[in-house]
Amino acid sequence: MSAANVAMDAPSGLRWGLGWLLLLVAWAAWMAPLPAGAQVRELREARIDTAAPGQPPAWRDIVLPYHWDRQHDNRAGRARFEIPFDFDGEVPAEPWGLFFPVIGNGAEVWLNGKLLARYGDIETPNRDDHAKAPRYVAVPPSMLQRHNLLEVRIRADAGRRGGLAVVRSGPSSEMRDSVFSQAYAWRVTGSLLLGLFSLLVAFIALVCWITQREPGPDGRLHRESLYLWAGLAELCWTLRVVDAVIDQPPLGWPLWGVVLAASYAGWICGVLLFCHYVAGWRTHASMRWMRVGVTALFASSILASWLSYAWHQPVFLTVWLGLASLCSALYACFYFGATLRHPSTARWLIAGAGMLNVAVGVRDWIVIRISSSSFGVITWNRYVSVVFGLALLYIVLQRFHRASGQARELLGTLAERVAQREEELASTYGRLEEAAREQARTHERERILRDMHDGVGSHISAAIRQLQAGEGSRDELLRTLRDSLDQLKLTIDSMHLPDGDVGALLAALRYRLGPRFDASGIALEWAVDELAPIARLDAQAMRHLQFLLFEAISNVLQHAQASLLCIEARMVGAAVRLRVIDDGRGLDVSRVPRALHERARAMGAALRLESRPGRTVVQLDLA
Amino acid sequence: MVEDDRSVRAFVEASVRRSPHLHWLAGLGTVREALAWLAATDEIPDVLLADLGLPDGSGLDVIRAAVARFPECEPLVISVFGDEDNVLASIEAGAMGYIHKDAAPEDIAATILEMKGGASPISPMIARRVLAKYRSLRLAGGRPAATAVVVVPEASSLLSVREQEVLTLIARGFSYAEIARLKSLSVHTIQTHIKNLYGKLAVHSKNEAVFEATRLGLLP
Repeated sequence: MSAANVAMDAPSGLRWGLGWLLLLVAWAAWMAPLPAGAQVRELREARIDTAAPGQPPAWRDIVLPYHWDRQHDNRAGRARFEIPFDFDGEVPAEPWGLFFPVIGNGAEVWLNGKLLARYGDIETPNRDDHAKAPRYVAVPPSMLQRHNLLEVRIRADAGRRGGLAVVRSGPSSEMRDSVFSQAYAWRVTGSLLLGLFSLLVAFIALVCWITQREPGPDGRLHRESLYLWAGLAELCWTLRVVDAVIDQPPLGWPLWGVVLAASYAGWICGVLLFCHYVAGWRTHASMRWMRVGVTALFASSILASWLSYAWHQPVFLTVWLGLASLCSALYACFYFGATLRHPSTARWLIAGAGMLNVAVGVRDWIVIRISSSSFGVITWNRYVSVVFGLALLYIVLQRFHRASGQARELLGTLAERVAQREEELASTYGRLEEAAREQARTHERERILRDMHDGVGSHISAAIRQLQAGEGSRDELLRTLRDSLDQLKLTIDSMHLPDGDVGALLAALRYRLGPRFDASGIALEWAVDELAPIARLDAQAMRHLQFLLFEAISNVLQHAQASLLCIEARMVGAAVRLRVIDDGRGLDVSRVPRALHERARAMGAALRLESRPGRTVVQLDLA
Repeated sequence: MVEDDRSVRAFVEASVRRSPHLHWLAGLGTVREALAWLAATDEIPDVLLADLGLPDGSGLDVIRAAVARFPECEPLVISVFGDEDNVLASIEAGAMGYIHKDAAPEDIAATILEMKGGASPISPMIARRVLAKYRSLRLAGGRPAATAVVVVPEASSLLSVREQEVLTLIARGFSYAEIARLKSLSVHTIQTHIKNLYGKLAVHSKNEAVFEATRLGLLP
């Protein structure tokens, strides 16, 4: 999928992003520090005692800020600062305040021998960290004297950016309401808002990742990794930024430091992969190198930060951060070049935000890790990254919108296809059914024609022969014609007979032959039980059975000279046994018409004949 | 008698005129003639003999008209084959029996008299069809109970248990005499059952038509 498609709704997205930026700028302008009043003083002169507890104090004069890690080779320790300040004129009667841009990692603030504030526990190292936020300490006017001694005790953990920055004192109205609140807004509230924004972006991207599946080149549905990388990057960034408000991290130091370094690396890695996907290089050869590089970058961040803290050698982390910035810068340039060659809105957004972020990242690296006057300086990257977050959010939402549109389209197409296929099936089925009906009609026609030929046809031709030859009595002629009409009636009956219903067949036969039985003077004994249908007997077999019985009965009526005809039908297990029994003169079993045997064979029934004078039995077993 | 085949008509007429108990009223060849005769006649016919396949329509129409005008008139269908579909349709139109065209001359007069005397013949095939129809009706009757009660007679009143038994035996091929012996009834009783059955079938078919029409929304 090409990134160019993302550009469809670009203008509105750009406007949206610009609006955010303007809002951010306005907020920044409002936050800008106001000029301090005349009464505000910066307290820089101090003396420090860094001797271990129990040792005699070893005071030495210093000038604040005191960057602990730089002074103590990244090793943990504790210190006492004594900062004297005097009032030349009147001791102020208004509420007073002290502002500490950086104090900690844990700290206690004493004034003239009295404890004013405590930040964390200065005895227990590597737990809480209060140096991340600026602090304001209110001083009751009654505590102020002409000559004052401010004492600050701190606990500094190794490589945790602890120490004491330049202290400012002044009237609380000014100190708290403008100086402190502005610093607090930049460092704490700002970080919190940025963190929440990142969290929102991460949430949206991850929801997209979980719910969206798109067909891949192999035709199967895949989750879109683009969303995952965007989500993970923003999640990492959230942790990184929100750390500014976490006084008590869930992990001890320096493990927490490693986690933060890793989350920073995770953000860079996620963003790099996201950029690669957005550019449409998912299947590009560079993707493999990208993965290797990103994995290496992430793993090395953990290693470098751990070594840096464990061996008290910040250079590891500094070098790693420099390398990460370099890699990012190189990638950004490369991306920028590619964007120039094949521009699209998404690529421009990414390239622009990326260049900005890299530039700010390099500035942060130089100011914080390299420069000597970096104490209390905060990263700019956290604010600038919001631009990247907006670009990312815009692209994710664009993609989601397009993908869901495609899904709707696909569903529509699918429904259409199904309907079309159903129609085809229905018509095929209709044709098949028509063919089956046609075949059934053909069979029926063939059967009726055969019946006509064997039955009515042969009888009528026999009658004609008799008439032409002048032989045969009127009675014989009448009988032949009657036979033919009876055959015809039986044929018609057989059309209505349900397949396998032998009982119905027998009843119809009796009804049709009734006048003949009456005319013959032979007593008829009807011993027909209730019969179960024989499912396998089809219309053809029923017709054979009808003919066979008709022949057998006609034979008795015409030739047997019997006085009693018994027709028996009963169930023998699941089979039907039919018997035509007469008490006539008997017949030569070996000279029974071949047609009887043929019909019995055709319908798969066992035919058995036994005959002696006085008892002839034709037995048929239908299983 | 309504029959377009002159020779058959002549044959039946001769058979009727020979009988001292029967009086020949008229022999007609088309539906139009028959309807006209029925509308104009002063003499009430006791029996109507009707062929089904007439040149200008179906004999069923003549049967319906005759029953409507003269409820006491008993129509008989003249049929070559006595095949199930035609016979059943005739019964539902109001016919009380049927005569085969190949019957002997004396049998024709005898059948007419027997029928007037209360004996309506019914073939096993028809009996089987009636039973099957009755069973399917009874199944269907359970469903649209609310409407069915109003327009269709109670399923159980359609066929009594005895009538069902008799019909079942006829369907298995037994003669009236054999059934009378098996069920310890008189032949006359069995003939009465059958005759009632004819009436019920005709009445039922009317109700069925009303029921169907109601279901289809043709009637309120």
